Amino acid sequence: MTFPKDENVLVGLDRADDAGVYRVSDDLALIQTVDFFTPIVDDPYWFGQIAAANALSDIYAMGGVPKTAMNLVAFPLKQMDIGILRQIIQGGIDKISEAGVVLIGGHSVEDSELKYGLSVTGFIHPDRILVKKNLQPGDVLILTKPLGTGVINTAIKGGLAPDTLIEQVTRLMATLNRSAAEAMSAHSVHACTDITGFGLLGHLAEMVLGSGCSMRVHASKVPVLPETLAYAGMGLVPAGAYNNKAFRASMVDFGASIDALMQDILFDPQTSGGLLISVAPDRAEALMADLIEKGVEQSAIIGDVTADSSEKIFVA
Amino acid sequence: MKEVDARGLSCPAPVLQTKAVLEETHLEEIKVIVDNAASQQNVERFLKSQGFETVLAEEGEDLTITGKGGSAPSEQQPTPAPEAEPGEQKIMVMCATDRIGFGDDDLGLKLMVNFIRTLKEMGPDLWRLVLVNNGVKLTIGGSEVLSDLQACEEGGLTILVCGTCLEHFNLLDQKQVGITTNMLDIVTAMQLADKVVSI
Repeated sequence: MTFPKDENVLVGLDRADDAGVYRVSDDLALIQTVDFFTPIVDDPYWFGQIAAANALSDIYAMGGVPKTAMNLVAFPLKQMDIGILRQIIQGGIDKISEAGVVLIGGHSVEDSELKYGLSVTGFIHPDRILVKKNLQPGDVLILTKPLGTGVINTAIKGGLAPDTLIEQVTRLMATLNRSAAEAMSAHSVHACTDITGFGLLGHLAEMVLGSGCSMRVHASKVPVLPETLAYAGMGLVPAGAYNNKAFRASMVDFGASIDALMQDILFDPQTSGGLLISVAPDRAEALMADLIEKGVEQSAIIGDVTADSSEKIFVA
Repeated sequence: MKEVDARGLSCPAPVLQTKAVLEETHLEEIKVIVDNAASQQNVERFLKSQGFETVLAEEGEDLTITGKGGSAPSEQQPTPAPEAEPGEQKIMVMCATDRIGFGDDDLGLKLMVNFIRTLKEMGPDLWRLVLVNNGVKLTIGGSEVLSDLQACEEGGLTILVCGTCLEHFNLLDQKQVGITTNMLDIVTAMQLADKVVSI
């Protein structure tokens, strides 16, 4: 495939970053992204919130500020009560309002399977775009949300998760990456992405590839939701985790202490996961303090970037 | 033997179906048929968590998991690979060579053989044996201490073998004892150890 070139496209399809960026003037660029999926929780209002938090996340991961959004809806009108759709959309509107974003339109089609999401547009200064691959040797890696939503959603699908855990994971997925992004903006970080369908290691692999650097990840430092390990041990691992692992296995070097369960959790596909931030070591402590102060309390330093040009991820 | 046909189902349905069958009746042996690799791995994991020993097979387009000797379902959480009883302290021994000392290589080799054989006298305090550089040559076929290392491993000692070194000497597929590992893992072990002995 060839992609049309335009000098105002600052981040396009060829770069495969979190969102596209288009320069409007010397001090303003637009960030655009779109994301939609089938329901991951039973409650329509919460599903709407999660879908919106997930769609907004790509703007935050580029270092931008989201401004406007449009709905994307596929709805089985004949099988489902329209009231369900209203609740989903209300969830979406409430979540984007929390982010200071306005809904200015949308489009819906009739479909056999329910899907909802949003296209989001944000602003950013052209010199302050945070791409994935701008890693610097010595950088510290910070993850802002715990892993495990894929495994726990599988347990929920199987009717095995207790209500308290369902509520915890639902709130986590519906939590905006806004506070994390605001904390990040004050610390001139080097690179950022958000952790979603490829799992932590899948997204780290995307960052490392072409960066000229390698990464070290301390598995014991990676925050993980409660019960994730137990459910994974019962075989409640989503097929996506195995696919992610098969796809990127050659880039990851697991230490002997990392068993198959932990490997799968590190590849577990996340819904509306946290930001992964690469920041200079002398700024890491201050950024962590800011994250905690802004309520992003589960943030953790999980590893660092090395000058090793093999572009691998070493996990211990 | 009971057969469970979970073809055409995606995760987590095959696990749930297997779980339901086992909850209904206590089975000594069970065979589950699936049609995708992810389900096969998940069902295998589930059966292991229920105390079964599993065998995986391919039958045409189908993938099967046969489980034998299941215990009654327990609420037990999966635990990492068993480690030997911990000693009073954790000693890590790191060998970067296949012989001890400089001067006479034949003597050095003899000393190393003797060293590895005597190492077990440390008892449960011996926590990790790490082999790097020429040290990885102790783990391949033809090594004089291979059987001694294998005995140590069976006794519960974790032997870490440097993957980069095996690759460098082109010995990756000849290693017969220990777990292949990376430098970060080795450094982490150093940090956790109470004492590191370097040879």
